[in-house]
Amino acid sequence: MSTTPTLLEVEEVGAPTSGPPTSTQRILTRLVHDKAAVLCLAFLLIVVLMAAFAPLITKLSGWGPYEFDSSAVNSALGGVPHGSLGGISGEHWFGVEPQNGRDLFARIVYGARVSITIALSATVLTGILGVVLGMLAGFYRGWVDQLISRVMDFLMAFPALIFMIAILSSLPAGNRPVLLVLVISAFGWPYLARVIRGQTMTLANREFVEAARASGAKDLALVFREILPNLRSSIIVMSTLAVPGYIGTEAGLSFLGVGVTPPTASWGQMISSSVSWYSVDPMFFAIPGAFLFLTVLSLTVLGDKIRSVIDAGEAA
Amino acid sequence: MTRYVIGRLGGVVVILLAVCLFTYLIFFKLSPDPAVMICGKTCTPERIDSIRTVLGLNQPLLTQFWEFLQGIFAGRDYGTAHCSAPCLGYSFQTNESVWTMLTARLPVSITVAVGAAVLWLLAGVAGGLISAVKQGTWWDRSAMALALTGVSVPNYVLALVLQYVLVVKLQVLPFPSAPAFADNPGLWFESYLMPWTVLAIGYACLYARLTRANVIDTLAENFVRTARAKGLQRSLILRRHALRPALTPITTIFGMDFAGLLGGALITETVFGLNGIGKLAADSIAKNDQPVIMAVTLLAAFFVVIGNVVVDLVYTALDPRVRVTSA
Amino acid sequence: MKRSTMLAGLLLSGSLALTACSGNATDAAKGNSAGPGGPAATGGTVQVLANAGFSHLDPVRGFDGGVNNFYRLIYRTLTTQGAAPGADGTKIVPDLATDTGKPSDGGKTWTFTLKDGVAFETGAPITSADVKFGVSRAWDPEIGIGSPYAKQIIAAPASYQGPYKTGELPSIETPDAKTVVFHLKKPYADFGSVVAQNTFVPVPKGSGAGTELDSKPIASGPYKVSAYKPGASLTLVRNDKWDVKTDSVRAAKPDGFQWTFGLDPATIDERMIAGQGTDANAIAGTIQAASVARIQTPQLKQRTLSGLGGCTTYMGLNTTKKPLDDVRVRQAINLAVNKQTVRDAVGGSTLADLATSIQPPTIVGRTDYNPYPSQDGKGDVEAARKLLTEAGHAGGFTFTLDTRAQPKMQAMAVAIQQALEPLKIAVKINIIDTSTYYEVIGTPSQQHDAAITGWCPDWPSGATFLPPLFDGRNITAKGNSNLAQLNDPGVNKKIDEIAAMKDVTAANTAYGELDQQIMKLAPMVPLLYEKVLMVVGSNIAGAYLHDGFSGGIDLVSVGLTDAGK
Repeated sequence: MSTTPTLLEVEEVGAPTSGPPTSTQRILTRLVHDKAAVLCLAFLLIVVLMAAFAPLITKLSGWGPYEFDSSAVNSALGGVPHGSLGGISGEHWFGVEPQNGRDLFARIVYGARVSITIALSATVLTGILGVVLGMLAGFYRGWVDQLISRVMDFLMAFPALIFMIAILSSLPAGNRPVLLVLVISAFGWPYLARVIRGQTMTLANREFVEAARASGAKDLALVFREILPNLRSSIIVMSTLAVPGYIGTEAGLSFLGVGVTPPTASWGQMISSSVSWYSVDPMFFAIPGAFLFLTVLSLTVLGDKIRSVIDAGEAA
Repeated sequence: MTRYVIGRLGGVVVILLAVCLFTYLIFFKLSPDPAVMICGKTCTPERIDSIRTVLGLNQPLLTQFWEFLQGIFAGRDYGTAHCSAPCLGYSFQTNESVWTMLTARLPVSITVAVGAAVLWLLAGVAGGLISAVKQGTWWDRSAMALALTGVSVPNYVLALVLQYVLVVKLQVLPFPSAPAFADNPGLWFESYLMPWTVLAIGYACLYARLTRANVIDTLAENFVRTARAKGLQRSLILRRHALRPALTPITTIFGMDFAGLLGGALITETVFGLNGIGKLAADSIAKNDQPVIMAVTLLAAFFVVIGNVVVDLVYTALDPRVRVTSA
Repeated sequence: MKRSTMLAGLLLSGSLALTACSGNATDAAKGNSAGPGGPAATGGTVQVLANAGFSHLDPVRGFDGGVNNFYRLIYRTLTTQGAAPGADGTKIVPDLATDTGKPSDGGKTWTFTLKDGVAFETGAPITSADVKFGVSRAWDPEIGIGSPYAKQIIAAPASYQGPYKTGELPSIETPDAKTVVFHLKKPYADFGSVVAQNTFVPVPKGSGAGTELDSKPIASGPYKVSAYKPGASLTLVRNDKWDVKTDSVRAAKPDGFQWTFGLDPATIDERMIAGQGTDANAIAGTIQAASVARIQTPQLKQRTLSGLGGCTTYMGLNTTKKPLDDVRVRQAINLAVNKQTVRDAVGGSTLADLATSIQPPTIVGRTDYNPYPSQDGKGDVEAARKLLTEAGHAGGFTFTLDTRAQPKMQAMAVAIQQALEPLKIAVKINIIDTSTYYEVIGTPSQQHDAAITGWCPDWPSGATFLPPLFDGRNITAKGNSNLAQLNDPGVNKKIDEIAAMKDVTAANTAYGELDQQIMKLAPMVPLLYEKVLMVVGSNIAGAYLHDGFSGGIDLVSVGLTDAGK
């Protein structure tokens, strides 16, 4: 996919396989002491809160995301917002959109909702598919592994971006967010599954698994009670690093016009609309762009930090 | 070894067939009726039927797919239009054989991919290497911060900002128009500079991070510690012992990334108006030109799958451990 | 009968829409002191920057504003439109023929005589057999997908399928090499205008089978195609076999034209504003809304051309769907729509005027009236509410609005959605891919409650505007243009009455009255009369907006001020 770094890159770097899993508590303690991580967490918290409480927030700010405010734009000049900085004022905290005068603050807040919901849902779905199928392939080997691996090869051979655009543009508008999550997950799970599969294969040969089997544990219990906990750190790292990727993908698809449908707000779609305006109204580009950038940056930094904590835990 | 290669190539064919069939199925269901599109505005149901018969659209799906496969090797006739082998389809919207459209645009995509690859390998790997060697210094920290930023900016945003700054505001570069190299080398270079840079920045930052992590890990390995204990010079250790294991995973990823780019950097090409495979894909999707979409998907998949095979072979050649286990 | 395509309102990348018709050729002609309208010098190459390519180079296949203008550069027809701003431009004058046709047999037979000295680019003289061959291609089911007038008006056996499949067409006679005689189905007073259509381009007898002409046109006009890469570029050079003495319409001053296709609309705007290098010799299309604020400097204003496009953008209301079958509901919607916000969605007052009547101001005989007035066109919600309550829909209802997948169209749909919200009318926006849009809304069994689209007249008369859109007998199962599916006996009767009128002026006035009669039934909401706003290169001359090509710059008149640049 050309919009985001693929999880290929992520998996290749030092995926931990040995030693006991680092406890979640340990991760959190370490993070809290790291200034950069705290900043990132803070920003992400703001974004998540924006997404969760969007209706409440816009009630406070006074403008909904779909209301037009024609008086805020200059109709004789193509619809440029009145005033400098794209119309920032006491009425419109982040200014307005050109041509229709919709409140940018409200649209950013609702856009956060779209980005977070889709990215999180995709991560969860990818996580479930990737972990389950990866573990099955790694544990059972044989034809199960062959089948799942072929499917993974097949999906990874696809030019994902082209396919996503083609599918999304041919389907009727319907329930776009759901479609987006499904399409993104369909192409995203193989990367996680491959890593999980590799690690499951290694773990399945370990003594503690043999011991458990000897004491009469059934396959399912082995997989979920013995192997899964050891995969936890990989899953955490890969998931955290996948989220910014999915946010970027959703923004990219919305940018190309196949994401959420108007009038729903989405950061990617706002960036797309703002492109032709950046010489007369750069704020319309800068504000959604900044939010997108900072969100992706925070998640990436956080992912990095978590991974280094886990790695440090392994090395100890 | 030969058996391995043949086996892999066999797998390639199988996967390509699967991709082909799957794409065909999906677009068969989703695409609008090509007969209606050819028919134009003054259309009658009888006319549509006659076009459908001519194009063989009334046959069962698998028969159509089989004809399509045959066409790839033997060429095909679509009504009065002839499509010579290899026939990957015929676009009724542009009245051209898809193969002609692809070959016309492939050079642009290849130029974009190769140029960007050279840039990002140099910048990314070198940058990551230096950062790893100077781990913890001011250089390392700022380079990694920069890399982090580069990874977080969506490439279309970068493309737009760069174009605005360099072409519109500063007027340092002209609007990209991609002439052939032979015609106008100067303009050629100027046109491709921005797309190369935009693509390279994203990948370079990624590769810098990867290289740095890999090199640091390798330098921490026991065999390096042994070498150092034996008194070998730092640079010698790096060159002779550490570089190869550190960089081998990078080649895998590079192979995949480069193969993916050969199939067309959709967003970059569209933003800069370069007539490559990526832009062809975007245009065809917008026009719902099904034969072209199918062919572009196949081509991109072809590159990725071949890339996979090449990468595997290269990895086997580079890493003795893999060689031993697979032989 | 053409649908107006919304001119390039495309934003970056992905949303690349096909612009099917409507004059995309932008002429930018700007002389230094004389302005773009100044006299053009002989020589030089005019550059044209475009987003979409040409649909077809074959004149019998191509039929939209983009190609109609272009064809005049390489093709000649029996008659053609003039080359001047305003009404002089849309007057029909002889082109290959010596006059606009001699009717006989009560107007059922028409005779044309070809001028001397007219030849193809190959040097072969253009004979009546070539004219006949060219016209008969319109009956070929694969090729004749363009202008429908020839097939509708000229008599032909029911089984006739064009010269390649059936052979000669007996109803077109060629008594000698210079005379063509047409036998029509019934008397047609204005056949002289019909032969200006692209179908009447001569094609050397025996050639042009299949898609030949789409890649290698055989020119009869002042230029010929020297290179063509579909979707990328097109180069025209002089046709030295064209004799300027036989052509009173085409100035053809430049030595050649160079089209560059596939350019991003925002990039085109940037280049036209910057005007560097060869862009000073360039023309393009209407600028985007975002660029309006940037062309307010005196230098840029000097090389800006502006005018009405001659089309109407409207929302058709499907009268067969509930509750739109109640005229009061449709009238309420007409009253409630805030046309100012719809206009802002396309870029404000410089890019469109508010529409009140069905026919735009460029149609002769049109009356300026407002059937559903409101303050500043902002919509009268109260009056609408009263009507809705009367009709029993005080609680509102839902309706599905078909919209093209293009940012400008979607923005208009959103504006309408917002305007109807206070009445509790929930507008569900159904986005349809551009390539299938007209197929869906043109199929009565597939269309939904309303659709936003446009209509451009084939020539500026009510005859090509009102009957196609509102004649109940014109409703077809596919390719339907009567979106409202209006079938009102009173309207149909009036249409027949006007068609029978001999006096053209009286007929035009009558169409104006018909406009008002139709709007009482409110089968559509007239939204906007879109304008053309183009920036041309600083070295362009001889440019003006031609009313017959949806406000596009007349390509046969444009040239460079200084041919040396």
